[in-house]
Amino acid sequence: MRRYVQTAGPIGEFSALPLLQRAETRDLVYVGYGLLVLALVLASYLLGAFGWLPDDPRAMHVDLINAAPFSPGHPLGTDFLGRDLQARLILGIQAYFLPGLLAIAISVVGGSVLGVLAGYRGGWLAVVITYFANLLDSFPRLILILLVIAAFKADIYAIMVVVGITGMPETANLIAGKISFLRQKNFIEAAHALGLPAHTVILKHILWLNCRALLVIQATLGMAEAILVETSLSYLGFGVQEPTPSWGNMVQAGANYFLQGNFWPSTAPALAILATILGFQLLGDGLNGMLEGKRRR
Amino acid sequence: MKFSAILPVARVLRRELAVTALLLLGVSVVVFAVLYLAPGDPLNVLLEGQSPRSQLALGAREVLGVPQTWYGRYGAWLAKVLQGNFGNSIRTGLPVLPELARVGVNTLVLTLGSLLFTLMIAVPIAVHAAVNGDTAGNTAATVAAYVVSAVPVFWFGYIVVYVFINKLGMFPLLSGTATKQPHAWLYFLVPIFVLGTASGTLAELIRHLREELSRVLAEDYIRTARAKGAPVWRHAFKEGFLIPVTEIMSAKIPFLLGGAVIVEQVFNWPGMGRMAWQAAQDRDFPVIMGVALVAAAFVRTGNLLQRVVFTMVNPRASKE
Repeated sequence: MRRYVQTAGPIGEFSALPLLQRAETRDLVYVGYGLLVLALVLASYLLGAFGWLPDDPRAMHVDLINAAPFSPGHPLGTDFLGRDLQARLILGIQAYFLPGLLAIAISVVGGSVLGVLAGYRGGWLAVVITYFANLLDSFPRLILILLVIAAFKADIYAIMVVVGITGMPETANLIAGKISFLRQKNFIEAAHALGLPAHTVILKHILWLNCRALLVIQATLGMAEAILVETSLSYLGFGVQEPTPSWGNMVQAGANYFLQGNFWPSTAPALAILATILGFQLLGDGLNGMLEGKRRR
Repeated sequence: MKFSAILPVARVLRRELAVTALLLLGVSVVVFAVLYLAPGDPLNVLLEGQSPRSQLALGAREVLGVPQTWYGRYGAWLAKVLQGNFGNSIRTGLPVLPELARVGVNTLVLTLGSLLFTLMIAVPIAVHAAVNGDTAGNTAATVAAYVVSAVPVFWFGYIVVYVFINKLGMFPLLSGTATKQPHAWLYFLVPIFVLGTASGTLAELIRHLREELSRVLAEDYIRTARAKGAPVWRHAFKEGFLIPVTEIMSAKIPFLLGGAVIVEQVFNWPGMGRMAWQAAQDRDFPVIMGVALVAAAFVRTGNLLQRVVFTMVNPRASKE
């Protein structure tokens, strides 16, 4: 079966080539790296969740403080208390993985609802939603989060609710734009003419058949945002607290030794943050190029 | 500027000022609502465990002049804020607004400076890439921009601090502006450099400007200009450069203010972000409310300026 997939730009540009042949090499490289990072994060999360760690992340080896990588028994070295960095890095994923999924779920579901309301219903509702989106965009997100922390002593899940809500306008905007694009096409009109109920048109024809790629991309980019927020907050001392590891508080814990010239305990988690955020961003942008035909050079 | 060009700007300015006022009102509602819903009531200390609904409690509120309904409290709070009274800090007892003005200037210098720095780096790369298309150097620059934008800003700060202190032995780092040193103004440059590089704005500005500029350069009117020997740059400037740059700049102000929280922490920079961090630690409500309001006002001002530039370039926009 040949599948005609809409590629770039205005209505009417379709390609019969399979996705993998059609895609640009750059996008394939981006997505490949992104999927690798995703697989590593998932595997490490499961390892951490089941407790299958290479070493006890809380065991202090006082004879091996701030050990360099490739030390015997500690392939990634140890931190300032002699704790195994590899185990702590793996366990650090617990700090953001489930909270990040919560943020993604809120921003994707909430953003879809708002986007459909604004794009499909339109009218005064669209005005209200635009106002709401502009209102959320007025706050620097980190400052809004600090406000919520001050008010509620919020834990990471409550903070991720805020992250999810502040992520809603972007998704809503994209969905609403997509709907106004789809409305020019005949199949929506045909669906209406056939007497299909509005929820079928919205859920099946708009969201499932035409917006799922966009939503996956938003979810991927949302994970990068969630990791950024979690690591920043635990760096600032608001997220996960010692001795529970998080990549942010590991960077913070290694800071004093960094300025003395012992870079590794701080750099290892920083590189983990860098590689992971980069992975999710590239995955999102690569998928964007492949599935949505958005060229980003 | 011709007179005919001022009219649409004035029209848009009026409309946008109204929108800004409405949004700032919304901001104040959100800030108030968060703190209103927060558990704990300052009066509980005074009432020593009496139920807040008890006759005594209500009496105490009446005596102190505390409104009992939420809209009463909101109205009273908003009236004070509009008069410039943001309350006193719970931790230091100092009035919030003068403190905010003092540190706000530092944050403004930090964020605007870093924007300027980002522009200086991003514009040549983006323009070069848009004009020359896909070359190996351009691809490398794009990938580098991706990587740099994913670098955790706090770790990057440490690297810069280490290099400057240990290797170059310069800049009065980590001393704040408390003592005036001969090269104190140079101290400004390091955090500005860090925020300007690692805040993620760099990659996005390069990507957006490159995309827009190469789109505009492919337009018919540019081809016409090129054919008749007119300067291409002057024709492409407004739509291909000014609009995308101002768009990204205004869209990135909130991110920069968020990034400033971290950079100010790393460099001990006496700004609003550090103030917000301290206030969140101490649950210092008046301070954190003030910071949120002022930060939102910054963001809206940036947005307003962007709209004005957009209308000046494209007067048709005023009729939308």
